[in-house]
Amino acid sequence: MRSRQSITELFASFLQLDTDRVIGWAIDAKLRRNILNCQAQLPQPEESENFWVCYWYKVWQEAPESFAKGHLSAYLQEVCYWAAQKTITNVSSTQYSVSDCFQMAIVRVDKVLKGFKPNVGFSLKNYSSAIFSSELKEMLRQQQEVDICTNWRLLRKLTQKRLVESLQNVGLSANSISSHVLAWKSYQSLYAPQQPTGTRKLQKPDEATWTAIAQLYNAERYTQLPVPGPECSEETIEKWLLTSAKAVRSYFYPNFASINAPRGEEDAGGEYQDILPQLRQESLMTELIAQEESVDRQSQQAQISTILIAALQELDQEGQKIIQLYYSQGLTQQQIAKQLEVKQYTVSRRLTKSKDTLLLNLATWCKDSLHISLNSSVLNYISTVLEDWLKAYYSPSSQLE
Amino acid sequence: MYDSGTSTLTNLDHLWLDISETEQTKYWQQSSAFSTANRRWMAYLNRLSLNAFLPWLRTEYAPDATPSPNMAALPSIWEVVNGTAISFGGIRLVLIPTEASDLSELRVPQEWVDIPSWSADYYLAVQVNLEESCIRIWGYTTHAQLKNAASYDEYDRAYCLDGEDLISNLSILWMARQLCSEETIRIETAPLPELSLAHTENLLQRLGNAAVISPRTAVPFRTWGALLEHGGWRQRLYEQRQGMQQQWSVAQWLQTGVSDFAQRFGWGSVELQPSFAGARGSAPAAALPTLVRKITIAGQEYELRVQLKDNLENNIWRFELRSATRGEMIPSGVKFKLLTEDLQPFDGNQVQARKPVEKLTLEVALGEPGEGLVWQTEPTPDDYQIEILYF
Repeated sequence: MRSRQSITELFASFLQLDTDRVIGWAIDAKLRRNILNCQAQLPQPEESENFWVCYWYKVWQEAPESFAKGHLSAYLQEVCYWAAQKTITNVSSTQYSVSDCFQMAIVRVDKVLKGFKPNVGFSLKNYSSAIFSSELKEMLRQQQEVDICTNWRLLRKLTQKRLVESLQNVGLSANSISSHVLAWKSYQSLYAPQQPTGTRKLQKPDEATWTAIAQLYNAERYTQLPVPGPECSEETIEKWLLTSAKAVRSYFYPNFASINAPRGEEDAGGEYQDILPQLRQESLMTELIAQEESVDRQSQQAQISTILIAALQELDQEGQKIIQLYYSQGLTQQQIAKQLEVKQYTVSRRLTKSKDTLLLNLATWCKDSLHISLNSSVLNYISTVLEDWLKAYYSPSSQLE
Repeated sequence: MYDSGTSTLTNLDHLWLDISETEQTKYWQQSSAFSTANRRWMAYLNRLSLNAFLPWLRTEYAPDATPSPNMAALPSIWEVVNGTAISFGGIRLVLIPTEASDLSELRVPQEWVDIPSWSADYYLAVQVNLEESCIRIWGYTTHAQLKNAASYDEYDRAYCLDGEDLISNLSILWMARQLCSEETIRIETAPLPELSLAHTENLLQRLGNAAVISPRTAVPFRTWGALLEHGGWRQRLYEQRQGMQQQWSVAQWLQTGVSDFAQRFGWGSVELQPSFAGARGSAPAAALPTLVRKITIAGQEYELRVQLKDNLENNIWRFELRSATRGEMIPSGVKFKLLTEDLQPFDGNQVQARKPVEKLTLEVALGEPGEGLVWQTEPTPDDYQIEILYF
């Protein structure tokens, strides 16, 4: 993959992928024009990548629907690609290509931006890498599970939020969604597996159960629906449940083609205006230049590494060994247990304890040196980035350097 | 054990705990008495979660952790609400198990948030994966967070928080208690109304019918919450929904033995006096066994004894609290009291040890058969919850 050079490229181009390989970069015309526009407002061209990350992140916070998301999404293309690549090579059985995984992960850029805490000393790349990997793992895991369930089992294995989103995704109206959800709740209230194990193949309910489900729906609709609607037959309820199951499955398999496609030159001709007023844009830039935040961040990254390496060396032999096997060789906890001739439980426990120690060290440093007031949410953030730092620190490529 | 194909997809921030197939079968069998297939299933998920999580918690952080209010009371909760509370060292947490494979949201039933004695410090999102024989704690939140940041679903009576807003690493729960002690964890809850006896009877009649599939949304929340908070009424609700006869009639226990349910809560009977041969008419008290329940107050073992005085027609009962160890005294200050079913005091309903005493005794003459009494002590016994004895 050719690495991007100019600011315009970094914040306006998107990866073009074949099934298994990178074809190249494609520039989004609107985003490029926006960059040129922004550059023009500055007394001199700003070439620092960090400056633009800070700037667009601030813009995104004030106007999430603005171009900022597009710029940051462009910026995070490589991180996302490498996260996808690493994840997919570690999974033995999957029908997905790197390209699929990349597309699945890049749509989570919203979660990255929502969770990012710029004042906690880690770069957006570090944090996004951690989120892309964990989200991707989670999505692959869920898909494997969904794939092997019958519809009837699947309907017991999802949250209401996921059901609603899936139904919205296939274009149902709000009222229709409420009815589907009530049918689903009625189904759940009256139908469950009747055995403790081997439940993946849960079959369709019997006739008596359908009657009961329809009765419950028809009774509850007066209090449980914003608009009660007509009485429903068993057939209708069954149809709605099948629609729901189908919607949930297709929500797990997004239409990849549309997601990462940059907009071409042809629609760049019309008038456009970003959501954030120009005046506000200018004042954000002035603030940033005054603060020189971007400069600080570089040295913080180096200090964080120093702190963590020192903390790692403080761990006892076994603790260090387990961390190393886990992150550097990518062994599973079971494999480590086998190699060290201990129980898997011991491995998992040691790994957790070691990570807790690192987290504690890092959190204390953030509090003392960066003057960040700690709370659970900040600790959770640090814990997330720590995972990524460990992966990077132990990855074969970084050790060669 | 999660299979090797997916174990590389394990998120290390989450806590993964195994459950063996043998355990699955065992907990399934223990979860049989519920009104619908779904309630049985939910009870099963709760039992699995509790039995996987509690040993871990005891080993890692809190050797004294116990289910709350106590093991025997859990089915009466699971019959109507999802969730299992655990308490240790002044901290309360609630496990909220689901089988959802996506981690989009945590839904906490309102009962766990707004019933004062049920509300907790922490709420743990538990994903039960029967196919892979494991549970995973994928995040937690606090009472304050639920009250301040969660959305409330009026139809489902639940507080719903986006998965992204949970703290995904459980270690942080303990770390934050050390490092961020000023963080607000819990918000005060408003007390629920007192229910009259007549109102309660009416509610139990209606909601005790298993044909009412979702009793928790069938009456206003504050009424429902008040009914549930009373351990004795909740137990009756549960038993009625199983179609059972009265399980807490003391007069009946004397004649046919203590019911299975009451035994689970620690009741038993003993023959304390030799029975008189050849007694006629109504059974003289001396011929009847004494009912005994073991309780623990401030680390000491005690016995609560209930005995009929004279005969059943007179309906006069004697209640005694004494140490379980012969010769041990009850320390001064300990209070023993009886209340009506709806928790009202009456004349001569309590006694307090002014100096160390051998026993504390109360005698009550009851009128109508079927009247209920609730016992209490101060300090409150371990694992206590209100129970009603019917006479």
